[in-house]
Amino acid sequence: MGKQVDLLQGTLEILILKAVSLGPLHGYGILLRIQQISGGRLEIPQGSFYIALYRIEHKGWIKGEWGESENNRKAKFYQLTPAGSRQLKSEAEKWSQMTDVVNAILSATPEQR
Amino acid sequence: MIFLAQLRSWWNALVHRTRIDDEIEAELQFHIEAHTQQLIDTGVPPREAERRAKIEFGRVDVQKEKYRTAIGLQPLHEIGGDIRYGFRSLYKNPGVSIVAVLSLALGIGATTAIFSLIYAALLHPFPYAGADRIVNPAIIDETHPQVPTWFALTPSQFDSLSKANSIDSIIGFNLAGLTTTDNDLPEDVRATYVTSNASSFFGVPAKLGRGIQPFDVAKGMQPANVVVLDYKFWKSKYDSDPKIVGQILQLNHENYTIIGVMPKRFTFTHTVGNADVYIPWTSTRFPHLLPWIKLKPGVSLATANAEFQSFLDRFKQETPKHFPSSFHVSVQPIIEPYVHRTGRTLGLLFASVIVLLLIGCANCSILLFARGESRQHEFAIRSAIGASRFRIVRQLLIESLAISCAGAVIGVAVSFWLADLPLRLMPDAFPQEAAITINLPILAFSVGLALITGLLFGLSPALHLSRPNVSQTIQSTARVAGISASKRTLNALIGGQIALTFVLLGLAGAAIAGFMKITSTQLGYDPHNVIVVGIPIKQDLKKNQVERAAYIGQLRERVAAVPSVVSVSVANRGIPPSPPFDGMQAPFEILGEQSSQEQHAAISLVSPEYFATLKIPLLSGRVWDQTENQRGDFVAVINQALAQRYWPKGDAIGHQIRAASLKDDGSPLSATSPQSGEWRQIVGIVADSRNNGLEQPTTPAIYVPYTTFMWNYTQLFIRTTNSPLASLRAIRTALHSVNSEQRMRAEADELEEGLQHEPVWAQQRLFSILFSFFACFALVLALMGLASTVSFAIARRTNELGIRMALGAQRSHIVWIVVRTTLATVASGIIVGLLLNLSLERVLRHWTPANVAAPWVVASVTLLLLACATVACLLPARRAANIDPMRTLRCD
Repeated sequence: MGKQVDLLQGTLEILILKAVSLGPLHGYGILLRIQQISGGRLEIPQGSFYIALYRIEHKGWIKGEWGESENNRKAKFYQLTPAGSRQLKSEAEKWSQMTDVVNAILSATPEQR
Repeated sequence: MIFLAQLRSWWNALVHRTRIDDEIEAELQFHIEAHTQQLIDTGVPPREAERRAKIEFGRVDVQKEKYRTAIGLQPLHEIGGDIRYGFRSLYKNPGVSIVAVLSLALGIGATTAIFSLIYAALLHPFPYAGADRIVNPAIIDETHPQVPTWFALTPSQFDSLSKANSIDSIIGFNLAGLTTTDNDLPEDVRATYVTSNASSFFGVPAKLGRGIQPFDVAKGMQPANVVVLDYKFWKSKYDSDPKIVGQILQLNHENYTIIGVMPKRFTFTHTVGNADVYIPWTSTRFPHLLPWIKLKPGVSLATANAEFQSFLDRFKQETPKHFPSSFHVSVQPIIEPYVHRTGRTLGLLFASVIVLLLIGCANCSILLFARGESRQHEFAIRSAIGASRFRIVRQLLIESLAISCAGAVIGVAVSFWLADLPLRLMPDAFPQEAAITINLPILAFSVGLALITGLLFGLSPALHLSRPNVSQTIQSTARVAGISASKRTLNALIGGQIALTFVLLGLAGAAIAGFMKITSTQLGYDPHNVIVVGIPIKQDLKKNQVERAAYIGQLRERVAAVPSVVSVSVANRGIPPSPPFDGMQAPFEILGEQSSQEQHAAISLVSPEYFATLKIPLLSGRVWDQTENQRGDFVAVINQALAQRYWPKGDAIGHQIRAASLKDDGSPLSATSPQSGEWRQIVGIVADSRNNGLEQPTTPAIYVPYTTFMWNYTQLFIRTTNSPLASLRAIRTALHSVNSEQRMRAEADELEEGLQHEPVWAQQRLFSILFSFFACFALVLALMGLASTVSFAIARRTNELGIRMALGAQRSHIVWIVVRTTLATVASGIIVGLLLNLSLERVLRHWTPANVAAPWVVASVTLLLLACATVACLLPARRAANIDPMRTLRCD
């Protein structure tokens, strides 16, 4: 288990969208999947996780439906809507542009001036 | 798309609130359970796993709140809570809440009533299609510019005018008196001949059957004998028979088929006289037409005037008799006369109800302040545990809005009744078509009023109370003595209430004084138990003067023989005697005197019994006798005003006068005595009686025998022993016994009732009733405000008063310290009101000329207000005097 990273502001939404885009999941499952993919390096506060989840649902990017969980319990499964997948695509593009720019600045050396 | 999704999610959150709540709870519960399971799987003991999962997650309630914040509905949820809390706190204080709601209900009710009156009487009175474009094409005679007149058109002129560019559509009509010939007693029926496009012009569907249609007078065919009934006529003559359509009505020996009945609000010709029946017009039925015009949308009155002027100038050359010698066209929207007559009255009424509403608002503010004092503890605690000022203000505003909305609901219910009152008290001043209904604009108005008043009276207490002094309030167990800022605001509110109440009371006093002056006017005659009966004389009946005079004399004698009749006279003059109908204001000459300017007098044509019938005393000389009456010429009686003006020395009798207007005018309808326009000797002088309206002094008058000039219409003034209406049937039978076809006008006017229809009488009565109403409301509200301030002040100072009493203060002293500040405020309020009244006086004199703002009125209003205010202060103050010092001291 590596060092834990704090979540950057505004990134939780895109992480949820991405997690859901891999296949329908219930709320706890989304949380787990993000943590798994990050290799446990990302600690997500549970309180703000649901706020983000509900905000995304309210905006119509994901859609929740009640179903059966792996151990036969009733759970709400979320899946991406078309609007959500558009949103994910544009957000991901923005994110990679942003990281490119930030990386470029951070990797600058005195000689390149 | 996204927006739609949001709407859907809001909708679900609001409408399926419990289901969504349950779902969230289930989902979060699942989360905790799944997490617990995972912890157990990693080796944590079950109980510990559950505890850790719950701690990590936090409270489910908080999560729900977070959910609402996430979708933006949290404020709404909070407001819902505020509303529930507000209602609970209103319910906890029922006395205060009821008083507050009632004071607003009065204010909002009165304001809504006057607004709906203005809406119904001036903004939307007419049920006709495009009513705002319908105009009376009136013309102004340059020699008598005050009164607009009508003009008649020949059928070809009418056709030509209808092609004018400004005209969207046009109807022509005319009125005629017909007689029913199918009853035992012939009855007078007022018929309106109207062009066959009437139905499409007005766009008002018939109540029963159909309206007049173009095919009723199709070209090349005999015009159909069809008739449409007016609502009132259908009700009175046919007792609202629903199967009337298809029956026959015989008029002037011709059978007409009834094809329809118009609805109640359709009364279109009432500017010139109401109709009983509507008959399709043809040129054979009536030669001339009066036009009513619907202008095209967007055509200005000036454009229409200019265009019609050119038409009328041409028509004048064809039919010079139909037009004055010099005139200009001035089309008048059909609402215009009513705006002119009642616009200012309604404006003033509206202003006064707004004042009433302000007083009601001040009352609510006072109550909220007073109640807020006792709630300081609550606000201090709320603020101490973290409520923002905004939330406390919002809470208080929601409570005041709840009060104002409840007030509005009651107010609107009351307003329906109140708005109808002016229409019933002063029917002639408003369009007959006007009907008070509760409709969307009026509801919107009252809702707006509720919101505005709620903010108005709630804001100042809310802002003030939302700043509690937390440490002080929470530490002290007793109530803190009042805060000076709120005291100042309270005093200003009470003072303002008293000042405004004073203004309204002053207005009411002046209106009542004005009405008293009108009713106590010395008429100079006795109108009690006198009835006036109109008698049309058949045109072809008596062309000859002697025969016609004898015929009228015979009618008079037969009526005089009716047992209950005291005295009967023939008189052609207005009922009640007032312009423009009082006889003729006509020029006259005096023999042997050259006058540089024309002398005018009101000339009345009467029989010698006239003075006895109306109890007008003879001052000197005599009244002409029966022989002179039959002859008609050579005699006259004058009134005192004329005698004093021209013969101030008192030697009028014996002089000779003549009036050119009594000469034969050549009309086929009139009959004159041989020398009607020649010199007449003054044989007597009678006392003055009002003949120029109730407010104006008596004008000079000349009385001559009615036989000297007779039209096809005469009147009988009949004095009876008891209520004259009871004798009406006997009078009708008496007339009938002279001539079986002799009719009388369907409605007979009692002279006393006629006086009440005088515009100034009706308007002043309406004014005094409504202003008294409003002033009483205002007084009650202001007194309630006063009484509640004093009682709250006592409640707050119970402790202090107890100590004072324990130390030996007299009861009277206690009462005095409780009421003295309030009484000082009342006194300054009265002074401000007095000043307001004085400064408004000139404006009001212009708006309500008949009001009497005499010093005694102001003085009595001041006394009344002072007395009431003192009582309102003293009643609750008595409670202070009865405080038991031992008990209050032990309480704390």
